[in-house]
Amino acid sequence: MQISLQTNPVSLQTNPVSLSDEFLEELRTVVEQRLSTVDAVCFQHGKDESWHESMPPGAVVFAHSTEEVSEIVKICARHKIPVIPYGTGTSLEGHVGAVHGGVCIDLTEMNEILTVNAEDLDVTVQPGVRRKQLNEHLRDTGLFFPIDPGADASLGGMTATRASGTNAVRYGTMRENVLSMVVVMADGRIIRTSSRSKKSSAGYDLTRLFVGSEGTLGVITEITLRLYGIPEAVSAAVCPFPDLESAVNTVITTIQCGIPVARIELMDEVQMKALNAYSKFDYPEQPTLMFEFHGTEAGVKEQSEMVGDIADDNNAGEFQWATKAEERTKLWQGRHDSYYAAMALRPGAKGMATDVCVPISRLAECILETRKDIDEQELLSPIVGHVGDGNFHCCFIMDPDDLDEMARVESVNKRMVMRALEMGGTCTGEHGVGIGKIDYLVAEHGEALSVMRSMKIALDPDNIMNPGKIIKL
Amino acid sequence: MLMPKPDEGTIAKRDEIIRAMQSIVSDEGVITDKEELRAYDCDGLMAYKQVPLIVVLPESTAEVSKVLKYCFENDVKIVPRGSGTGLSGGALPLADGITLGLGKFNKVLDTDFENRCVVTQPGVTNLAITHAVQHKGFYYAPDPSSQIACSIGGNIAENSGGVHSLKYGLTTNNVMGVEMVLMSGEVIRLGGKHLDSQGYDLLGVITGSEGLLGVITEVTVRILTAPETAKAVLLGFDTSEQAGDCVAAVISAGIIPGGMEMMDTFAIQAAEEFVNAGYPLDVEALLIIELDGPEVEVEYLIGQVNKIAKDTGAVHVKISQSEEERLTFWSGRKAAFPAVGRLSPDYICMDGTIPRGKLSEVLREMNKLSKKYDLRVANVFHAGDGNLHPLILFDANNPGEFERAENFGSDILRLCVSVGGVLTGEHGVGIEKRDLMGEMFTEDDMKQQQRLKCAFDPNQLLNPGKVYPTLHRCAELGRMHVHKGGVKFPDLPRF
Ligand SMILES: Cc1cc2nc3c(=O)[nH]c(=O)nc-3n(C[C@H](O)[C@H](O)[C@H](O)COP(=O)(O)OP(=O)(O)OC[C@H]3O[C@@H](n4cnc5c(N)ncnc54)[C@H](O)[C@@H]3O)c2cc1C
Ligand SMILES: Cc1cc2nc3c(=O)[nH]c(=O)nc-3n(C[C@H](O)[C@H](O)[C@H](O)COP(=O)(O)OP(=O)(O)OC[C@H]3O[C@@H](n4cnc5c(N)ncnc54)[C@H](O)[C@@H]3O)c2cc1C
Repeated sequence: MQISLQTNPVSLQTNPVSLSDEFLEELRTVVEQRLSTVDAVCFQHGKDESWHESMPPGAVVFAHSTEEVSEIVKICARHKIPVIPYGTGTSLEGHVGAVHGGVCIDLTEMNEILTVNAEDLDVTVQPGVRRKQLNEHLRDTGLFFPIDPGADASLGGMTATRASGTNAVRYGTMRENVLSMVVVMADGRIIRTSSRSKKSSAGYDLTRLFVGSEGTLGVITEITLRLYGIPEAVSAAVCPFPDLESAVNTVITTIQCGIPVARIELMDEVQMKALNAYSKFDYPEQPTLMFEFHGTEAGVKEQSEMVGDIADDNNAGEFQWATKAEERTKLWQGRHDSYYAAMALRPGAKGMATDVCVPISRLAECILETRKDIDEQELLSPIVGHVGDGNFHCCFIMDPDDLDEMARVESVNKRMVMRALEMGGTCTGEHGVGIGKIDYLVAEHGEALSVMRSMKIALDPDNIMNPGKIIKL
Repeated sequence: MLMPKPDEGTIAKRDEIIRAMQSIVSDEGVITDKEELRAYDCDGLMAYKQVPLIVVLPESTAEVSKVLKYCFENDVKIVPRGSGTGLSGGALPLADGITLGLGKFNKVLDTDFENRCVVTQPGVTNLAITHAVQHKGFYYAPDPSSQIACSIGGNIAENSGGVHSLKYGLTTNNVMGVEMVLMSGEVIRLGGKHLDSQGYDLLGVITGSEGLLGVITEVTVRILTAPETAKAVLLGFDTSEQAGDCVAAVISAGIIPGGMEMMDTFAIQAAEEFVNAGYPLDVEALLIIELDGPEVEVEYLIGQVNKIAKDTGAVHVKISQSEEERLTFWSGRKAAFPAVGRLSPDYICMDGTIPRGKLSEVLREMNKLSKKYDLRVANVFHAGDGNLHPLILFDANNPGEFERAENFGSDILRLCVSVGGVLTGEHGVGIEKRDLMGEMFTEDDMKQQQRLKCAFDPNQLLNPGKVYPTLHRCAELGRMHVHKGGVKFPDLPRF
């Protein structure tokens, strides 16, 4: 079989391979009846939560163990059939699309929490465990796992996309919080990237390489994650600002003063309107910051006072405090639902979430210019951001069938990405590359991309692992 | 220790290579004199020595690129070198290789307080970064004890840590970007002043790669605001089990101290004799716990730690009452190596990491090993993150003692791996632990790691002989299919 190369990153599936009956029979010897070629199942597994069209695989298998995954991959490797790992399909850049067809390995049934080591603050899970499931399981231990992308994603998918969340400014992203994993490589071999230890300088850091590899280097079948003690005191606040600039300046000063805020999230006036409507709040429809503070009673009090002073200097409105756990849950759930809230602004439309990250000193400028561009092009796009890290998202609410509108979206998006790159930033703060961002990666990495390419070839010479993603071969 | 057999052809071409280098870098940047070369014959692992073919000291990225390109085209090996303080032999020269010293890359290029980062050349010392920013209340967090001397480039290559890594992370958590020259002479940039970027995390792979993937020529690191207050508590325990329990209880209580260090009797006594830090001498284990942050929080946490310490049986508790006293508490710990060094003609410093919960078990086993090998061992320990530094004392003049010490050390590292730990927490593998990699990784694991190397340095010219016990040719690694039963390589020469 000849795997053809993809030319246009957002084009539809090209030459999907056909899977022979013998091949499927061989897979059934491993997974028995846990294999489906039903159109609806394949369609669903070829589609993520974004506007990208479904690119269905030829078959979906539901794996139950590392050994099974290894056997499946070995069979696919022998026949040079593409393999696409699948967590919960909440990614946003066409990550799970079967560009050339092939076999999707659904890992949701590998959802056991294997060991919690409270003393060492770590936990080992199977990849299908979801983030909320993990925290529910941990509840009685006094520990928690902080990374919280908006969706209730699988930890395998979160590892593979290097997911981030609202509290990355304090706890980091998946990059900082994956200690080790078991991976099935492109030839079916099983490797362990490191041990549970907090510290290691032995050999190349394969752990960091697999975090963010988007299923293109191997299938992650077990993950050891870092845990944190639930802070003694937590409080959250919502605060409106007269304009975006003063909100962003508040963030910058807070970060520069080294105040260890746990969360600091920006929503512009469009997003606040969406939030009020969707989650039944009645916050002022102005640019708004949401804060959360973690620590001891005294520490939290001091942090919030310091931030209060900084916000005052920037003409902030009234702080509204959420001290009760239920209030905070509602607040952050509202923040997590912002994608769906935004889409509800225009029923029937599709969403395209963009994702840029710039050095914080350029953040205000970057957001303001982008906002202006969106308005000038008369597009609907709320802006939200994990601004403590210099990361923000525009969410274009658009009609993919309206070609004129799509062209304007694309031009605004392109200018935004180029603006971010010129400011020393990146176009993929946390949503990954998938197929949607392939071209931008070239602009961002230059020469380094050829190293990435040789790395991919070295580890997956036949290009069977999630082909067509991250880099074009 | 077996190193790759020097290539006679390269040695025969020495004059030609020298001329080529002189055409690239300034005259005093090429060192060829046998006596001058001796200054570079080892790093901090002084048991192994080798005079390099020549030493080249470039001054710019362009020069590094030209040197590497020449070597790539002419099949000449390169060993990058920072300050030469490495403890695992990573910068040990090769008889047929150029030692590429980064000493002239000694400028801090940009202090960017708005974005909380510093851009610097790789030869700048770790401490110089803090010196460049402390007037504005900032510092660079990872603090290896060698920080006055070691270079930031070497720190990245070794993923170095220090007593504050528990709270603030290792080098890998504090590097934001690098410029690096590949063996082909190509220059690549990874990361930068922004938080994160996508695609494969090459920066993560470079950090800790011990000079095997490329030569780092520029570095961007994160700087932090110095904490408002810091206080240290000195705790003495009758048994190391109790001290271990205390460490576990502090962490389980959700407290992440700025630093949490442990020393055993032998190390305590040596340090106290050397610097008079005020350590209690009648205890089996000493903990130094530092808490930093806003004043109110520090006060509160000191109270919590105090209570945990009493509950776990601390017989000696002392809280620093002034900045001066806090530094005195640390002075003993920071001087532990030389202090122990005074008590013995020779010592070797080991570096293993274990899951925190296994501490008492490991210390008990280590004492048994100490009896078995009839050698003394002193322990200093980054207790918070499970990183042990046993110092094995010996006298190289007694025949057989060095070998005994080496075997003792290997047994300690095997012990670490057997309880779920790793061979090295922060000093790297180099040549010192190269032959023990098999204890921690399977042949398959190591082959995958080496495949990575092929993407950067297909001809294995950068720092060969380090880290991996068996050097596979890239072509051979490219053969991916495993046959049933697996092909082992018992018959391949170990160099
Ligand atoms: C409403 C909404 C909000 C979001 N908010 C955020 C946010 O705040 N921050 C953020 O970072 N992301 C966010 N996302 C994006 C998405 O949730 C994350 O990328 C998430 O990590 C994807 O996980 P998943 O389990 O759904 O993976 P999938 O979508 O199933 O897969 C994603 C990629 O990972 C690969 N993969 C999955 N599992 C494995 C495995 N076990 N081994 C190897 N490769 C694997 C797949 O092949 C694919 O390339 C959001 C998405 C939505 C819909
Ligand atoms: C007394 C003492 C105390 C120490 N304490 C600690 C400690 O607390 N924590 C700790 O982690 N370490 C410690 N070390 C070890 C050592 O200081 C560190 O490993 C340090 O990072 C080495 O830096 P260097 O500049 O001396 O590197 P070198 O020894 O010169 O080189 C180390 C490795 O890095 C490579 N390298 C150097 N520069 C570059 C570059 N620019 N590009 C590519 N590769 C490069 C070399 O090839 C070599 O493999 C200690 C050492 C001593 C002597």
